[in-house]
Amino acid sequence: MDKTYQITIDGKACTARHGEFLWDVAKRNGVHIPALCRSDRFEEHRACCRVCIVEVTVRGRTKVVTSCVYPVEGECQVVTDSPRIRQERKVLMALLAARAPESDVIRNMASFMGAGEGYGRLKPLDTGKCILCGLCVQACESMGTGAISTVNRGTEKEVNTPYGMASDACIGCLSCANVCPTGAIEYQQDEETRTIWNRTFPLARCSQCGQVMDTVDMAEFETCDECRKKAIADQLAQAYRFV
Amino acid sequence: MVSEEQINRIVQSYPAERRFALAAMQDMQHAFNYVPEQGLQALAAHLGCGVAQLYSMATFYKALSLKPKGRHIIKICNGTACHIRGSVNLATGLKRELGIDPGETTEDGDFSVEMVNCLGSCALAPVVLVDGTYHNKLKLEDVPGIVEHYRAQDAQEAREAAEQGGER
Repeated sequence: MDKTYQITIDGKACTARHGEFLWDVAKRNGVHIPALCRSDRFEEHRACCRVCIVEVTVRGRTKVVTSCVYPVEGECQVVTDSPRIRQERKVLMALLAARAPESDVIRNMASFMGAGEGYGRLKPLDTGKCILCGLCVQACESMGTGAISTVNRGTEKEVNTPYGMASDACIGCLSCANVCPTGAIEYQQDEETRTIWNRTFPLARCSQCGQVMDTVDMAEFETCDECRKKAIADQLAQAYRFV
Repeated sequence: MVSEEQINRIVQSYPAERRFALAAMQDMQHAFNYVPEQGLQALAAHLGCGVAQLYSMATFYKALSLKPKGRHIIKICNGTACHIRGSVNLATGLKRELGIDPGETTEDGDFSVEMVNCLGSCALAPVVLVDGTYHNKLKLEDVPGIVEHYRAQDAQEAREAAEQGGER
């Protein structure tokens, strides 16, 4: 059996397994720690929005850590909302708000945490919703497609396809758009097609009910989930009709 | 210039492991003065990764370029010592001489100018590195001479090549 520790989070007694990330322990015990670049879909976390910082006291020493990638490896006391954390988180949100001025999510979080005022010296970018967390790239790689990546460095850094052209690798699955915490990845969809990353994909329809499923590039079956479920249920009903 | 055969030779000289990606791209940069798109595609196929990952690396490192660089690469040191001793003036001088800013390449493909951070020869500031040759303690009036030197060298080589071709 794994080693477990008794830790406290905001004064609440919690049990953590060895190596379990602090954010997960907090969530399991009903303590919400704000985070942007953390997604339950992945085992590895990016730790780059840094909004999930908390104060951890281990053997009398206090430090600030990113809770989404901080493994619990001993008894500790955690404070998720101390004045120090609140102040640092406020600065982080002010910086993110300057980076992604068009994002409602960021703007709301920033004003909620009090980062709306007093940071006039941070000159916001003109446009954009992207906070460059890289979740979309991680999602694309986990799909096995690897069509997008971070391009350039420093102030020029962005997420894009190679050469900014339509990528052969992309299948139009929208994993990147769905995982994005700020809704920065845009796509258009009409009756017949879906357009994302400069490429237009024809949509596949269920051969039975005619509902739109996915793009033709990613469709595995001819019928939609609902119709397949129904077909299997019908088969079972037929097989067990005398029972 | 860029041949498929040469790209394949570079790509195949490395085992199919991701960690050799940078080395292979550096070889391409060396051979072609830039990393061609076909090169990225061939390398991605060899290593079994996406073109996007390689493109990400190629745009991250200053040593790699996705556009053809000039035959002669002029690196102006802009470290602290060189900066104080007027490296920016040298850039202006080069702009007057070649008509390009740092980061650009002349239209005839002869020269590329780059600002680099520190060449480690601060005692010789300001320093300009052209194709691996250090030109040190430069003054603004030295700039035309340096450019002329490389132009003359190119002309000389072209003449010799023409003469050899004529003899044959």
